[in-house]
Amino acid sequence: MGVLYLLSLLLGIGCMLLLDHRFRLFFWRDAKAAAIVTAVGVLFLLFWDLAGIGLGIFLRGEGTIATGLLIAPELPIEEPIFLLFLVLCTMVLYTGSRRLLDRIPAKRSEKQWENV
Amino acid sequence: MTYLWLALAFIAAAVVAGVVLARKGAFPGEAGRHWKAVGLAFAALVVLTAVFDSVMIGMELFHYDASHILGVRVGLAPIEDFAYPLAGVVALPGLWMWLTRKRKQTSEGRAESGLKGLVPQALLASRPVSWINTAYPFTAAMLLTTREVDWVLIVGTFYFLIPYNLAMYGINDVFDYESDLKNPRKGGIEGALLQPRLHRPMLWLAAITNVPFLLVLAFAGGPAAWLSLAVSAFAVVAYSVAGLRFKERPVLDSLTSSTHFVSPAVVGLALAGADVTPGLIVVLVAFFLWGMAAHAFGAVQDIEPDRQAGIGSIATVIGARRTVRLAVVLWLVAGLAMLATPWPGPLAAIIAVPYIANCAPYWNVTDTTAARTNVAWRRFIWLNYGSGFLVTLILILHWSLTS
Repeated sequence: MGVLYLLSLLLGIGCMLLLDHRFRLFFWRDAKAAAIVTAVGVLFLLFWDLAGIGLGIFLRGEGTIATGLLIAPELPIEEPIFLLFLVLCTMVLYTGSRRLLDRIPAKRSEKQWENV
Repeated sequence: MTYLWLALAFIAAAVVAGVVLARKGAFPGEAGRHWKAVGLAFAALVVLTAVFDSVMIGMELFHYDASHILGVRVGLAPIEDFAYPLAGVVALPGLWMWLTRKRKQTSEGRAESGLKGLVPQALLASRPVSWINTAYPFTAAMLLTTREVDWVLIVGTFYFLIPYNLAMYGINDVFDYESDLKNPRKGGIEGALLQPRLHRPMLWLAAITNVPFLLVLAFAGGPAAWLSLAVSAFAVVAYSVAGLRFKERPVLDSLTSSTHFVSPAVVGLALAGADVTPGLIVVLVAFFLWGMAAHAFGAVQDIEPDRQAGIGSIATVIGARRTVRLAVVLWLVAGLAMLATPWPGPLAAIIAVPYIANCAPYWNVTDTTAARTNVAWRRFIWLNYGSGFLVTLILILHWSLTS
């Protein structure tokens, strides 16, 4: 039973939360809203997974780095963890990009000030 | 083609939700930056997906029915897989912007302080040094029955390790606020004073972190699991919640407290479908008596603050001396009961000795000197680790003898 994949995902989630914590992006900005967004995102993507499994598109692999534990047919225990990571990564990227974009006008006005 | 249609359907739903939410959530002039940020995030996600989806497929974590996909791949990743990050990045930031729009209107700082410190407070309140005391009985009981690690074991262990304790101590601290204020012992190793503004969020946190696990575990088991989970959850709530306050009803307080530790084991046995044997029942009864003794002894040190706050307990009602003696007797009976279990159970009888030795010096304690038992209570918390060690050795011996 391999735990490499599961550990990698948990490590990735940890890194996303560290970024979140450091820059006050998501959970550390509005915990309640972040919890709702995360829950909605994970459930939406999980439902998508289940639809794909039901249609016979997605097939679980026999990779040795996975635990092989299933929470539903063809749905390994790592999948919701992966989706959690994907949602966190998406939101950290978005909120981080917003932070950068929101700074641009400020910088421009600073430059104008210097030119004057 | 099937995957493409599936992906398009979910993307369509995500786009509709994302556009509507962004319109409703954005302030004038904000929409442009919102969609630019969505674009930047998606660009980064495309690169990450191309790399890591390929790695994951290469590692054979999953694959696709070839007849259902277009066959266009970026690296090893089928083009349809990029629909996941696309749908996520279109819909979720919109939801985020809509949910946080009110926060931006009001002062930023005030809204932020609303939930600030909830999670650290909740974790501190849940007594991390005691987490193992509820997870261990579950895991040991289930693992010894099924002899394999399956997802129910992992999910249940996590539940009884953290969310269960968050609920038990979080609810307790909310409704104990009054007596905790007068008790200098709280706030450190044995619990934390909880600010009133965090009371409601704490109860919500307890509900959100517990209900899903209870439902999943109930789903994994039959009627025996439903009953034991219901008893377990009821004991957690009834112990301290206003109106029931079992912790203020002498005897019922110790019974409920012991249920907090024994019920996880019963849930584990029920989920594993264990056979009910006389030996098993004796073990559970001995564990239950141990738990009652632990609670009763723990209540002695709080006699003064509890009485000042008008809170009753087994110790405030029958007095310090009789409570200590009751605890010693309960531990003694628990130890003796273990002698009646099949080998290697009788070995566990010796575990009662350090508890009795720790508690017996207070045989003649009075209500005015009751606070001094805190020294023994602190030792008790660490004694549990030693006992856990011995119990584990005995369980390993049991495992090797029965497999």
